[in-house]
Amino acid sequence: MVRYALRTWFLVGGILLSLATPSIAQAESSRIVTLDWTIAETLLAFGIVPQGVTQIDAYHDWVGTPALPAAVAEIGLRAQPNLELLASLDPAHILITPMFAALEPRLSRVASVTSIGIYASGDTPWPRMLTATRELARLIDRPEAAERLIETTNMHLTQLRQRLPEETPPLLVVQFMDARHVRVFGTGSLYHAVLTRLGLDNAWKASTNHWGFSLVGLEALATLDARLVVVEPLPVGVENQLNENGLWQHLGAVRQQRVTYLPPVWSFGALPSAQRFARLLVEGLTQDQRYSLKRDCRGTDADA
Amino acid sequence: MPDVRSRLTPGRACGLLGLLTLVLAWLTLEGRLDLVNALSALFAPASDDINQLMAHYSWWPRLSVALLAGGGLGLAGVLMQQVLRNPLAAPTTLGVASGANLALLVTTLMAPGLLALGREWVALLGGGLAMALVFLLAWRRGLAPIVVVLAGLVVNLYFGALGTLLLLFNQEALKGLMIWGAGSLAQNNWDGVMFLGPRLALSAGLALLLLKPLAVLELDDANARSLGVSLKHLRLASLALAVFVTACVVSVVGVIGFIGLAAPAIVRLLGARRLGPRLLWSALFGALLLAATDLLLQRFSNALPTLIPTGATTAALGAPLLLWLIPRLKLGGNQPPAAHVNPTPRRSTPGRWAACLAVGLLVATVIALGVGQGVDGWHWRVPFTRDSMIEWRLPRMLAAGGAGIMLALAGTLIQRMTGNPMASPEVLGISGGTAIALIGALFLLPGASQMTLIGIGTLGALVTMGILIALNQRSGFLPERLLLSGVAITSLFDAVRSFVLAGGDPRGQQIIAWLSGSTYYVDLPAALIVASLAILLAWGTRPFSRWLDLLPLGDPTASALGVNVLRSRLLLLGLVALLTASATLVVGPLSFVGLLAPHMARLMGLTRARDHLLGAVLMGALLMVTADWLGRQMLFPAEVPAGLVASLLGGAYFMWGLRRL
Repeated sequence: MVRYALRTWFLVGGILLSLATPSIAQAESSRIVTLDWTIAETLLAFGIVPQGVTQIDAYHDWVGTPALPAAVAEIGLRAQPNLELLASLDPAHILITPMFAALEPRLSRVASVTSIGIYASGDTPWPRMLTATRELARLIDRPEAAERLIETTNMHLTQLRQRLPEETPPLLVVQFMDARHVRVFGTGSLYHAVLTRLGLDNAWKASTNHWGFSLVGLEALATLDARLVVVEPLPVGVENQLNENGLWQHLGAVRQQRVTYLPPVWSFGALPSAQRFARLLVEGLTQDQRYSLKRDCRGTDADA
Repeated sequence: MPDVRSRLTPGRACGLLGLLTLVLAWLTLEGRLDLVNALSALFAPASDDINQLMAHYSWWPRLSVALLAGGGLGLAGVLMQQVLRNPLAAPTTLGVASGANLALLVTTLMAPGLLALGREWVALLGGGLAMALVFLLAWRRGLAPIVVVLAGLVVNLYFGALGTLLLLFNQEALKGLMIWGAGSLAQNNWDGVMFLGPRLALSAGLALLLLKPLAVLELDDANARSLGVSLKHLRLASLALAVFVTACVVSVVGVIGFIGLAAPAIVRLLGARRLGPRLLWSALFGALLLAATDLLLQRFSNALPTLIPTGATTAALGAPLLLWLIPRLKLGGNQPPAAHVNPTPRRSTPGRWAACLAVGLLVATVIALGVGQGVDGWHWRVPFTRDSMIEWRLPRMLAAGGAGIMLALAGTLIQRMTGNPMASPEVLGISGGTAIALIGALFLLPGASQMTLIGIGTLGALVTMGILIALNQRSGFLPERLLLSGVAITSLFDAVRSFVLAGGDPRGQQIIAWLSGSTYYVDLPAALIVASLAILLAWGTRPFSRWLDLLPLGDPTASALGVNVLRSRLLLLGLVALLTASATLVVGPLSFVGLLAPHMARLMGLTRARDHLLGAVLMGALLMVTADWLGRQMLFPAEVPAGLVASLLGGAYFMWGLRRL
């Protein structure tokens, strides 16, 4: 019964949300090009379709939602977008992040370049994410779009926070690199920011890098008492290797079946990814543990 | 170092290192388990004690694998150095590691199902194929040591370039393999030990069987043959054994190259002369060296947010040691000289070839400027429309051509100076030094301007050059020593590179793109500077052509003919450094052009220094312009960096040429 009620709540919440955010169908095209997937997903959430984005196929693998419409032009690699093609598209703005600073001199020959950064040092990216969202909206003359997105996100997170089971243990959010190494997300990461907003405790207290994660061997997780949240995709073969991995099999969380698998969420994203992560996480945590262990997540990729 | 040698025998060194390993092991366990519990965890861990479980599934297997892998690499190193009679031959210099790495990359992308059968088999296959390719290339010459090393290095570079290409387009999908590529010893069960243990034991047994015939290889070819040893088969069998050991180790723990080079060299330096003791002590020394390094890293890396890959660390620590070792190694003296073959006779009409090259360069220039792709497919742009030609194509064409010229000049100078066809600016390590400085700048000063980067890169090149000069001054810039110092610096660069890649930082993408050598960042003023600098320097080398004709004749002949050998070497070295640094700043450190252009010019029969320089310059420009254009069109709209295309084209050609060497 409880689960049924939850499902209903999700359904209602989903409908409310879809009313609040403009869908892609209403989105308008623009003369904005961005090299950065995080900016691209934020633009789409504003209802603006960028004119060109880099590595569109990889965007769909790693960011997934919101999907890029077919009209968006592919402009090459993130590190080195095709300048001649860019020039022929004749965009009005090019949006980059500080990571691409070396490209700025060349890009500024095509159009005006603005750099908007979210991930800068070790501290929580949430305030910076809000600033970046507002800056982006101001840049496209849609300040109200930012407020709407922030408001929706906050509302969404507040709703989700209420759905959480009462006694949620501390969480460890990890992404597998191979069967023996994971990225653990701590202070400074998108996932950590969302956990904080949801009132959840992140069990990873150690220092993190520029992007808010630590790259560690599985043994670093062994002494921590926490529920594991594994963000997919798993690298090829890792699933089978984990079955034979003695340390993994003896981790407290695995033995007590406290492992939740989530479909891919862009780990370096902005508010849209934050919303998506929060939704998937709360869904994962509220669902039957046996379901999450069986992991039909591959199937749910499409609807996510 | 007679005083050191008399006090420190290989046995004592191993004893000291073993003691250090024990202390470090105790330190990493301290606070978690006492000795009794740790030992009981080895065999039967209490299933409710997480410390014992960690010891059983992680700590003990890791220590065992470190010992096994280090021992295996030490063994493989001795075998390879014995067979190739080259104290710098190592498992990684023969392409085995890069072959295994490439096989895993390709399998992950194309046929991930195969990985379920076992990564080690894929790696083994890749390593085996790479070594087979090296054998194939060196077969005509009866697997002569120098040709094998040369082929191994070229295959290494080629596979590395292919791997970089895959990585550039699939960074997210391949990030796990970057950790493996940098060599991580982390273990989560006993599978790695169970895999390595029996295979290494078997290999050690086979090595003992080969001991006696291998000792004969100390003699030169003719003497060995007269003793009735089939050199080809003996070398083949020993190398195959070494490759098998390497591939097994690599497939379990990734690329850990330096141990296989250092352990045999150190042991020999400490006085182990005969093959038997060298095998024994280097296996032991390698095992302890790797285990101690790994324990030290485990102790200190806990506080850091990123993984410190053991393989990259051993390589980084190894480079300075190698630099220290080089002046102390006996090189050349006890080796039979390799036959020096000049494959092509001097042509009487070098002018005709130069004219052909010039026409080719002109055609390439016109195509690079006029033909391109847009949203609507291929088109030919009428020359000198502002947006397509001057802004986007001209700078890249000029920069590519200029960099090609500078690399070709540097390559010609260094090949003539050393009389060695495998010499190139890349081998000298100046590109590597520049690259290390730039990687540091990209990480420590995020958002640094292009000018800052150029300044820092130049500084890196100068420091590298200073190190090269300081290390080689006393030996009077002997060609082999110079090259070896360069190789050591390049290996340090390799370590820094895999270090960066293993960290999984998204900025890695930008660094890979730059390392692959791209004209992407060049604008018109910079391109004009590069091109005019290149032409100026090309003009500036003409007065040196007399030196360049005389130096390959050998030091006594050259001095007898009135050349101040030391001063001319120093001057030429400075010129090479300047050329290399300028080119590296434009197109990155990884191009084959410096190796290729002079070699091709020589194959055309341009043997006199002046003709050789001219041919190489034209060839270098032609190669780079073509590579840059191809790179922009091949996978449009994605761009493949020019340096990468050059190394893919050039590497294939060079391997073909090598086969007929």
